[in-house]
Amino acid sequence: MLDLQGIAKHFGGVHAVDGVDLTVKRGEILGLIGPNGSGKSTIVNLVSGLFPLTSGRILFEGDDISDLPSHARVGLGIARTFQNIRLFGQLSVWQNLWVAQNSRQQRQEVFFKRWFGGSAGVQAEIERTLEFFDLAHKRHELAANLSFGEQRRLEFARAISARPNLLLLDEPAAGMNAEEVDQLDARIRKMRDDGFTVLLIEHHVELVMSVADRIAVLNFGRKIAEGPPAAVQDDAAVREAYLGTR
Amino acid sequence: MDLLDLIDAAQSVADGLLFGSTYALLGIGFTLIFGVMHKINLSYAAASIGAAYGSLLLLSGFTAAPAVIVFMAAALCGGVIGALVYFIGFKFIPVANPLATLMSTVGLLLLIDEIIVHTTEGVPLAYPALYSDVVVRLGQFMLRGDLMFVFVLGCACMVLFLLLLYRTRLGIATRAVSQQPIASQLCGISILQVNVLTFVVTGMLGGIAGAMSGAAIGMLSPLLAQPLTVKGLIVTVIGGLGSIPGAIIAGLIVGALESLFQFLRGVTERDLYIMMLLFAFLVFRPGGIFAKAPGRD
Amino acid sequence: MDFYLGLAQVIGVHTLLGLSAYCVLLTGQVSLAQAAFFAVGAYVAAILTVIFKWHLFAALGVSAVVSGLTACAVGFPALRVKGLMLVVATLAFGEAVRLFFFNFTYQIQAGELKIGPHGAEGFRQIRYFPEHGWSTFDVLMFIWLMVAIVMACLWWLDQSRAGAVMRAVGEDEVAAHSSGINVTAVKVLAMTIGGVIAGIGGGIFAHYTTHIEHVQFGVILATFAIAYPILGGLSNVFGTLLAVIFIQGFLIEGLRFLGDWRNLLFGALIVLAMNLRPRGFLDAGGVASLKRMLFAGKESSGA
Repeated sequence: MLDLQGIAKHFGGVHAVDGVDLTVKRGEILGLIGPNGSGKSTIVNLVSGLFPLTSGRILFEGDDISDLPSHARVGLGIARTFQNIRLFGQLSVWQNLWVAQNSRQQRQEVFFKRWFGGSAGVQAEIERTLEFFDLAHKRHELAANLSFGEQRRLEFARAISARPNLLLLDEPAAGMNAEEVDQLDARIRKMRDDGFTVLLIEHHVELVMSVADRIAVLNFGRKIAEGPPAAVQDDAAVREAYLGTR
Repeated sequence: MDLLDLIDAAQSVADGLLFGSTYALLGIGFTLIFGVMHKINLSYAAASIGAAYGSLLLLSGFTAAPAVIVFMAAALCGGVIGALVYFIGFKFIPVANPLATLMSTVGLLLLIDEIIVHTTEGVPLAYPALYSDVVVRLGQFMLRGDLMFVFVLGCACMVLFLLLLYRTRLGIATRAVSQQPIASQLCGISILQVNVLTFVVTGMLGGIAGAMSGAAIGMLSPLLAQPLTVKGLIVTVIGGLGSIPGAIIAGLIVGALESLFQFLRGVTERDLYIMMLLFAFLVFRPGGIFAKAPGRD
Repeated sequence: MDFYLGLAQVIGVHTLLGLSAYCVLLTGQVSLAQAAFFAVGAYVAAILTVIFKWHLFAALGVSAVVSGLTACAVGFPALRVKGLMLVVATLAFGEAVRLFFFNFTYQIQAGELKIGPHGAEGFRQIRYFPEHGWSTFDVLMFIWLMVAIVMACLWWLDQSRAGAVMRAVGEDEVAAHSSGINVTAVKVLAMTIGGVIAGIGGGIFAHYTTHIEHVQFGVILATFAIAYPILGGLSNVFGTLLAVIFIQGFLIEGLRFLGDWRNLLFGALIVLAMNLRPRGFLDAGGVASLKRMLFAGKESSGA
């Protein structure tokens, strides 16, 4: 579904991502881990189109999307969350989801209805999402007034609103307590069962090991291992990257 | 264009370059406040003019105080006004509301201007200039003594200021706050102190710039505040926000261009070209003269 | 009585100007070019009615379109920059437009007189209203009808998804981009709508003052344009109206008895207002509590 072919991103002399090949298959959860500064978040930013590539290609469903702007990629079905939450603080929870409805099907609605009407179908979809993320009782609250956990959930919900096929989750468990991590685990599994494909960037190794179908490991902007969780755990190069050489 | 015109054009560029040092000082002030606060202080140029007025007021008891004293008094007033501006327009407005600070500095701009109009009844005041009778001749070419004095003074202030910023603890603290506010707080730097001192120091620079423009023009008028604000902002932006060398060079360039356009197209069209140039510059080179490649964030 | 009618006219026209800036501010951009769009509207409408003898409504329509197109044309390049850069870029554009009119002369012979804009002297004899028998009251009604229409449109826009999208862009451009919003298109559109509103306002302004010149459209007017919505608060259109009434009605006219001191108080009160209510008179919290008071118990659906 998503094919990264030798992508690289250099910031001046810093090679944040340095020639990574990675494939995300339809319907899987691919965990992407690595020590701090290994280029994980940069990959999310490259795939979602916040930065231009230095070299390489990004294919989505077989089409080259390397030069598309961010918003067009959302239209094709790639949505993301941010590691440091970026909600629309002065918009209500409901509006946060409303403005994010930008998938291809949603764009095909009649112009007037899409921008100025609040159709019943749209309402129902937003309500379903709110329900799933346990935010329905907060629908009129301003996003800025939510608690940290609620803001994380809303960010997740907003990404879902664009009906993506591929979800990029950038450290969704950062700052969560054990109970919230469990809920998140359950939600991600549920989403896979509903047909989403997920690229999960995470520091929380337990969560990744538990939820991911496959795991890729980055270090210094390069991929050093890839495979099922158990195999990656035993990989010598991975141990070395995390624990250092002896 | 024959030779004589060419000499005249060069002459106007030279005059403009000399006067441009005023713009450079104002640009440094705008840039430094932006660097530390990440906010614009639109009242800065008005405060500078206010400081120049203040110096006249301070010395009104003495008859014909020497110009050097006047300049020092202007710097002093500038510092005091700078601190006042910080406490009235910045201190108590939440950081998350840049629009509110913008508006409060607009309010201060109007307030300072009106205080000047009120105390002087809107009449322009003569301002003492140094060496106004000196003219250096180089063949066809001449350099006005008062402008040269302004230029030399401006350069001296810049050198002093750069020494302050790069050689003293205060300067290092200021730069630390402008780069990493939270980290510098953790290192024991008091943000409040740095902010106040920044406003005082930039206020002093502004006071000198105000006095310099008064001396170069030969008089002070509240009507100077608005054009100086606009020119100061232009210089700040052309130089690249937060770049001090950029502000200096941009100040000189704007001064020279202004004078050249005035010579070529007359005073009514002068600023039209400056503005169009600026707009083009901003749009196509938004990082300023010394733009760096975009960083990681 | 005429005094109050005149004041009401000023408030109406300035509300249009403020609303044009409101629209742009929603997307998080501070534009000091609104006075320039206002000037374009004023000159275009006045030239059409005075020199080409057009009907006022047609002239206003054209001035709105021309202003909107100008705003759109400025929007594309100017929106490459943000924050302070945008403030200064739009300031430069605004000043360039003002200085263009400062140097702009286009006159025709009409009987004894030469009419039309004449450089620094400005454009005199815009006598459409007296020539067509409009009383001051008619003019006032017309102005407020336009204000009401524009406010209603913006109110409606605010309630719609389009309004929410504009606010989302103003809140966080990166997040908006990553949520699939075409940020550039939204910003240029907001600028264009702002230009259209300023064009209408400017056209009306030219006709009731009967004399326009470049100094009226300087930095001060541009600053006022953004001051109204910022002071009033960006949570809805009534904040802007409130701020215009506060500034034009109270600070400028109401305090006239203070003579010279009024101007001093003017700046001080703006500073004070921003210290006390940094989000404007009508902020989101204030609106929410107002709503609770008015519609207690009832839950509003949707947005």
